[in-house]
Amino acid sequence: MKEFIKQFADQVSASLAQLPAEEISRAINILEAAYERDGRIYVFGNGGSLAIATHWVSDFNKTVFSHHLDKNHRRFQAIRLPSTESEITAWANDVGFDMIFAGPLKNYLQDADVLIAISSSGSSPNIIKAVELAKERKVPVIGLSGFDGGKLNELSDAKILVKTEKGQYEIVESVHHTIMHLMTKYFKEYFDHMITAGR
Amino acid sequence: MIVVRAPLRISFVGGGTDLPDFYRRYPGQVISSAIDKYVYVVINRTPMIDKISARYSISETVDHPDALRHSRIREALKHLGIKSGLEIASFANMPAKTGLGSSSSFSVALMKALHAFLGKKLDARESAEAAAYLEMELLKEPIGPQDQYASAFGGFNRIRFNSDDTVDVEPVLLDFKKRFLLENHLLVFFTGLTRDTSSVLHEQKRNVNDDDKFETMKQMADSVPQFVSYLENGQMQKMGEMLHEGWQRKRSLASNLSNAVIDNLYSTGLKNGAWGGKLLGAGAGGCLMFIAPPGSHPAIRLAMKKTAEQNRLNEFREIPVHFVQSGAEILYHGDGQPSAFA
Repeated sequence: MKEFIKQFADQVSASLAQLPAEEISRAINILEAAYERDGRIYVFGNGGSLAIATHWVSDFNKTVFSHHLDKNHRRFQAIRLPSTESEITAWANDVGFDMIFAGPLKNYLQDADVLIAISSSGSSPNIIKAVELAKERKVPVIGLSGFDGGKLNELSDAKILVKTEKGQYEIVESVHHTIMHLMTKYFKEYFDHMITAGR
Repeated sequence: MIVVRAPLRISFVGGGTDLPDFYRRYPGQVISSAIDKYVYVVINRTPMIDKISARYSISETVDHPDALRHSRIREALKHLGIKSGLEIASFANMPAKTGLGSSSSFSVALMKALHAFLGKKLDARESAEAAAYLEMELLKEPIGPQDQYASAFGGFNRIRFNSDDTVDVEPVLLDFKKRFLLENHLLVFFTGLTRDTSSVLHEQKRNVNDDDKFETMKQMADSVPQFVSYLENGQMQKMGEMLHEGWQRKRSLASNLSNAVIDNLYSTGLKNGAWGGKLLGAGAGGCLMFIAPPGSHPAIRLAMKKTAEQNRLNEFREIPVHFVQSGAEILYHGDGQPSAFA
């Protein structure tokens, strides 16, 4: 058992040691720009990735401002797609599962916005459909992918690829979650700094 | 209605090496950053009114683009084949000719907005290219494309100008701590002097053919990577010293780039503790920027104000500057469907 645990920890550590720092920096700069123009962030994924997206939305809408919740400071507008489960089933049932993100996104998407797409394989058709919609409208896309990156990594403006062998979902999702937490911590410190400096 | 904004910029080193007469012989390079001062362009569709209106420092209403006095709006409309049925207005946080690149920011915002009006979304590169084409090709202005790219992309960028007229934009990815550190060391003063810089640029353009001056410009372009590395490492004093060197080089490129008043203001900054600085923009007026230890800022502010008063610069003032990551952006696109008017 110990060996199994060590092996998993080693794999995750190896992936963490190779975080694509430059692409993560690019993603953070894209999010800063969206904040400056009061744009909204749409974040989505399938299964575990959707859970990561949901967790991150609560962090971004509240946790990053948690030291200043009483201040009248402009907040982030982070939205998980779809924002209701009824929409998931409506689009899946009536139109097709590949439209569960792109369908609802069409209702929201405006020029000032940003997308964060999370997909371990980087090739889920429903993820790609939403990313293509954003690309068509010249809205920046931050893509978190795993394995070989798939089409998501190809299409993204910030290409955050956690490269692993195919099928290593646990490793990829663990590292994706870490990267999302890294961004949360960055913005928490950023707002601490900004608000303390009176901006 | 369509609302587009594009940021102004501060250039650090390499300015001037974006002139085609230079970069066609040797790769030009510049490092600059977008700042929190913007130019806004608003377009309103008026399909029931067979006119074109342009509203800026004055208001014009004409039957055909040819009759417009505003040369950029006129040429942009003619180029895009827009004949009538719209109002174009512009707003800015800063007056023109301050050396913060506002005229190119205007072009970037204008081209992005007009394309959106025609149903085409431009990304950062396309917006920069469209603005550079407007200014350099259609209007034959004696400028380079650095400001259009700086404004369209936003953030800190190292911009390279290649001999085949292509432009590479490489973002300098800084965290907020580095940006705040630089902001805390930076002082920007509007000199109160505004002059049409085209005479400076014309002389500089002629001077590219002078061997010594060409060498100087090569050194300016080549100093960009070193400045970027100081910036990434937060070495403020080194950056200030490089600004100083760059400004000394740039001053030598054209006789009218600086003048006694600007030299007087600049040496006031240095005497009171600044590590270095430069004039922002093409020359002869605009803003002076310094990098100085934060402790010296009160003394520099006081002395600069005094020097400005002695030189009767009534418009002189400090400009607070913060860096921004955002570039040219459509803030609002409520144009609806043109068919609503059909």
